Amino acid sequence: MQQQEIQHFLERYFQANNCSITDKGPGYLTVQLSIELDKVLMNRPFYWHYLEKTGGIPNPMQLTLITDPNIAPKTIKGETIHFGSPRLHQIFESTKNLAGYIRLYEKNHHSDRQQTPLRPWLGINLRISYQCDRKRDVFRSIGLQLINGQMVDHFHEKLMTVSLTPKIPDYSFTLSPLVMPKSGIIRIQHFIQQEIATEDHQWAEEATARWQKDLNLLEHFYQDVEEKEESYEIEKQALKEQYEPKVNISIINGGLFYLTDQAISFPA
Amino acid sequence: MSVQINFDSTWQNEFLHRIEEDGPWGSWELYKLALEVENHTIIPEFEGLKAPKHLSSLTPLPHQLEVAKQVVENMNGKAILADEVGLGKTIEAGLILKEYMIRGLVKKVLILVPASLVTQWAIELNTKFYIPAITQRKSYVWEQCDVVVSSIDTAKRNPHKDIIYQQDYDLVIIDEAHKLKNNKTKNYEFVQNLKKKFCLLLTATPIQNRISEIFNLVSLLKPGHLGNETDFYQKYQKDSRSIEDDEYLKELVNKVMIRNRRADTGIEWTKRKVETLPIEFSKEERELYEAVSTLRKENNWMNSSKFSVMTLQREACSSREAVFFTLRNMLQKKEDPSEAFKEQIQSLISKVEAVQTNAKADKALELIQEINDKVIIFTEYRATQMYLQWFLKQHGITSVPFRGGFKRGKKDWMRELFQKNAQVLIATEAGGEGINLQFCNHIINFDLPWNPMRLEQRIGRIHRLGQEKDVVIYNFAIKDTVEEHVLKLLYEKIHLFEKVIGDLDDILTKLDFGNIDDHLIDIFGKSASEGEMKIKMDNLTSMIQFAEEMREGEAHATAGNSAFS
Repeated sequence: MQQQEIQHFLERYFQANNCSITDKGPGYLTVQLSIELDKVLMNRPFYWHYLEKTGGIPNPMQLTLITDPNIAPKTIKGETIHFGSPRLHQIFESTKNLAGYIRLYEKNHHSDRQQTPLRPWLGINLRISYQCDRKRDVFRSIGLQLINGQMVDHFHEKLMTVSLTPKIPDYSFTLSPLVMPKSGIIRIQHFIQQEIATEDHQWAEEATARWQKDLNLLEHFYQDVEEKEESYEIEKQALKEQYEPKVNISIINGGLFYLTDQAISFPA
Repeated sequence: MSVQINFDSTWQNEFLHRIEEDGPWGSWELYKLALEVENHTIIPEFEGLKAPKHLSSLTPLPHQLEVAKQVVENMNGKAILADEVGLGKTIEAGLILKEYMIRGLVKKVLILVPASLVTQWAIELNTKFYIPAITQRKSYVWEQCDVVVSSIDTAKRNPHKDIIYQQDYDLVIIDEAHKLKNNKTKNYEFVQNLKKKFCLLLTATPIQNRISEIFNLVSLLKPGHLGNETDFYQKYQKDSRSIEDDEYLKELVNKVMIRNRRADTGIEWTKRKVETLPIEFSKEERELYEAVSTLRKENNWMNSSKFSVMTLQREACSSREAVFFTLRNMLQKKEDPSEAFKEQIQSLISKVEAVQTNAKADKALELIQEINDKVIIFTEYRATQMYLQWFLKQHGITSVPFRGGFKRGKKDWMRELFQKNAQVLIATEAGGEGINLQFCNHIINFDLPWNPMRLEQRIGRIHRLGQEKDVVIYNFAIKDTVEEHVLKLLYEKIHLFEKVIGDLDDILTKLDFGNIDDHLIDIFGKSASEGEMKIKMDNLTSMIQFAEEMREGEAHATAGNSAFS
């Protein structure tokens, strides 16, 4: 992410959170935080606690972020933000937290006043992390139709071509799911796990070999020590944490999507 | 091979709860943004760095990227970066730091560097890496700022020390880490007690292959990895150099240390031109030198301090001021000086007073006028430094002094003055360390240090990455003096000046015969005759040449990055 992309991202982020950008220029922006975002970003629980107790007028903060100190005016005082800075991580993290769960309906454009049925889909976006002393992530977006159990890959990509709204549109009605969301999640989970289990795990074998090599080295330095000290166990544990291969699957976000029959084109 | 698979179920519980409660539901725009974030933060391959993609104002060199990759992928963020001088260790450390920050693994960072480099580190991290590093000025920054640059001397003192000990650092970077080789020092103890997850030790001096140094540095990075100290030394004798024979130690060193040589980097370095200028004493200067030299033969009181004679001789080759200061000190420090002693010193002082010119200074002036560009003059002596400043001023040449003892702010200021306003920078030895002056390409070695490593460091100030012109080095040596002997019999014989930076430290490391200063003092101080001196000098020279050949034989067998083959 280049500094300019960061600036663009921040503008969209604050707008999506209903905060007004009060000032912006090359390499910086100032934003009036909403109460909600002040609580999320500014880390001042005592203030908000005090305010709630006393019933005072809330005064959320303004925040100036400098995305490129090389081009921002020298008079602008603010926080320098960069890809990798804790503040940006915090904002990234909050994006996920603020939009972890969603429910949307497809807007359809039937001119005749015919009732349109919308089918329920469970959409889940996952990060699969292959982890040892190194790390590799894979992003997956899976959709599961909750009536016929059809599973679709690249679900989010497909959603991006559909027009969606948080309120059920006029002349539309939703069909009831036959598959409950809970078992839907389990189906997706099994599907992913199955897939991973059949993959070639050479990376894990290599990691285990590196692990063993490091262990041998450690053993060597302790081989003549009769009573192995605590430090030996600590080092051994540290090596386990560093090398042990595992796959962690976490859900980034997901939700329920009510879509027309035409919305998702199935692969043949 | 089957691998353990963990499925995080926290999301689904909350999801089912929200279905029951009919919300709240997030906004579509934020939902999409979250996935864009994911796209940016994902690590798509086991290998490779993410940081370079995010750094538009920096084009790291291949070897720098390789180092960062190694440290992140294979060394788990615990490494000794031991590239030769001038290959950009700061960039390497910055890349690693940035990479870990992007991966969200590092937030709290402590960077300990020589005082003269504090500002420069902070500027580089800010401008090249967009890392808001703060230079330590107030004691509260330790707690409030995420990335702090400080000198170790400040950090290890209270009240700072106590506050720093309270912090949990994700990454600690230490520049000039060769100063931590001895685990009995305060600095070592301080670093050892820092709470740190990752740690980078930067040094231009390679580990000297000594077991104790390995033990101490590795223990900083991986405490407990080598078992306990006593057992370790029972197995490997403290001063032995058996590393190269021991597979385990070799493997260990390769696991924690990376060293690039200039030659390995494939970068085209600008040339280095060395010119030795023999200089003739004036009559009075010669008399002073001879008078000082005869001390050894004549008097018993000098016997106890052969070093003084040597010092005086070398000073006489530099400036009368340098001699005078030493003489005055000798007089002041001597308890109950005998009349003879006083008389002797007095007669020497009168010889000093008789000297009216400085042959070297005249030559320097001539050169500076001829070069008509920025010049750095190195001298061993403060008295000479002050004299030169005065002398150049008399001739309308602007100069700034530079010394190791200057405070950080003053060093920065002097460097800037030199860059913008002055033609000449006059530095003493200690001032040479930790200052980068690649905007200048002329050095005058007004007098020569006896330790060739220090000479390397002097040249390394300007002959480094970023130097665009060929570098010209002028060595001054007064004819028929110790100075000329050292230059002719040692430095030129081992082709010191033609060497690429870093070759020499490798050679001296291989040799491992102790301090070169001691050898020279022994040669010049204890030799009864000129002949004996020459023989001893030849011995020393051939030892160095031998080590050099040894090294060349091995160089081709050396694989990759390790200093050990």
